[in-house]
Amino acid sequence: MSGSPADITPLGDSALLVRSALAPALRADLAARPLPGVQETVPALAVLTVLYDPLRTGPEALAAALRERLRGLEAQSPPPGRLRVLPVTFGGPDLAWCAERAGLSEAAFVRALTEVTFTVAFLGFTPGFAFLTGLPPHLQMPRLATPRERVPAGSVALGGPWAGVYPRQTPGGWRIVGRTDVPLFDLGRPDPVWWGPGDRVRWAAVHA
Amino acid sequence: MLEVLRPGLQTTVQDAGRRALALGVPGGGAADPVALRLANALVGNPAGAAGLEVTLTGPTLRFHADALIALCGAPFRAALEGQPFPLGWAVPVPAGATLEVGTAARGLRAVLALRGGLNVPEVLGSRATDLRAGFGGLEGRPLQRGDRLGWSELPRVTPRRAFLSPTLHTPTGPVLTLRVLSTPEATPALLAALTERPFGVSAQADRMGVRLAGEVPAEHDPARVSLPNVPGAVQLPPDGRPILLLPDAGTHGGYPTPLVVAAVDRPALGQLRPGDQVRFQPVTLEAAHAALRARERTLRGVEAALRQWYKEG
Repeated sequence: MSGSPADITPLGDSALLVRSALAPALRADLAARPLPGVQETVPALAVLTVLYDPLRTGPEALAAALRERLRGLEAQSPPPGRLRVLPVTFGGPDLAWCAERAGLSEAAFVRALTEVTFTVAFLGFTPGFAFLTGLPPHLQMPRLATPRERVPAGSVALGGPWAGVYPRQTPGGWRIVGRTDVPLFDLGRPDPVWWGPGDRVRWAAVHA
Repeated sequence: MLEVLRPGLQTTVQDAGRRALALGVPGGGAADPVALRLANALVGNPAGAAGLEVTLTGPTLRFHADALIALCGAPFRAALEGQPFPLGWAVPVPAGATLEVGTAARGLRAVLALRGGLNVPEVLGSRATDLRAGFGGLEGRPLQRGDRLGWSELPRVTPRRAFLSPTLHTPTGPVLTLRVLSTPEATPALLAALTERPFGVSAQADRMGVRLAGEVPAEHDPARVSLPNVPGAVQLPPDGRPILLLPDAGTHGGYPTPLVVAAVDRPALGQLRPGDQVRFQPVTLEAAHAALRARERTLRGVEAALRQWYKEG
């Protein structure tokens, strides 16, 4: 047995939230050997949400089966990701506010962002959106109290411990500090999503 | 083939949705999935065949081939060649006929099923329209005037002359009680604030989510990490106006989720209309599952009876 015991809690009447460092390994295990009644598994950071059909399984039986699976798993070393360089034109409605909060000039704030090597923790929120970790604490920004109803496609943004890019116009509560022209989700490509979990990401400043 | 003469407010191709949440792709599918199942059962389709989801004001459609159709969901007024078109029946439509779907006095959405199912291409395992991401259905968008849609051929059948009991349809407002499960993020004070009084449905209501009016004192925890959203989640952004998540909601979110609407009442979220009042009623997991099983028994009974009819017919 490795890692700490998993914390498994019901979230509504058809999902269990599994908090475990072994979440990625559990997800791979469930894909290879499905449990009856499990409809989908959705990863986040050290988290796996297991959506189940309450007509086919129950939360207690399922939690017991998941604990059993976790006992048999070893922490997997993360697969080496690709390095993806995203061209970013810095600017946007929140850049000045964020720079001031970080105690930097806008130029210094932008330079600091381009020096970060991010890692794609997981995909989610909307097709092509990646949750990027690696933001040092002094560059982390609180989310907006009221999300914007429309954040333009390509917006590069900071939210809590995360950084990310809005692939499409969506509502959003993160602070916008730039934009990119790279299509992050394109069904015309064999691999529609531009990046994958484990990839390392740098932002390269583009001067308009 | 059918032709869109008037598109209605927001008419989209929907089915039972997709399972690609881990790619960041919303589940999608009919916002009132019970309406989809009932309409499909009435015309002898598989439960998840693609139909048209109509919203508030329906479309006007001309059929260029004989069809067998059914409309289920909110009580929309509709007319086929000027004659009243009943909800919850399978109705044969001759080539050349025009169906006008009007407005609903209560509720928001209905599903129009066609025998055979709409045959738009599947994207990521589903024909559902994802309006935000712009794919699926017909070019990822609502229907427009002049659009043409085809359906798969199934053997012609005699429709069963029986209509569905109105009690089978998903309940509609103007006042709705939603059974909810509380989560570990529901403090006693938060739970009380959310369940002691009804909330109005604001004008911000679409296939992603429904914003409620009124404020709930919310803690703003900037350190809360984004977690996978679950169907039926009730989220609380820092401005304290709760959001009910619908099928096109983003797959992950950073706001606290003190409540989750029970599976049995999730179809009702698709019927919430601006101005309606909703009340949250906490229930146990056992009660939520028992209610879901009871509803499912009834639905499966209807589906089995209609399947038997079409097999014998």
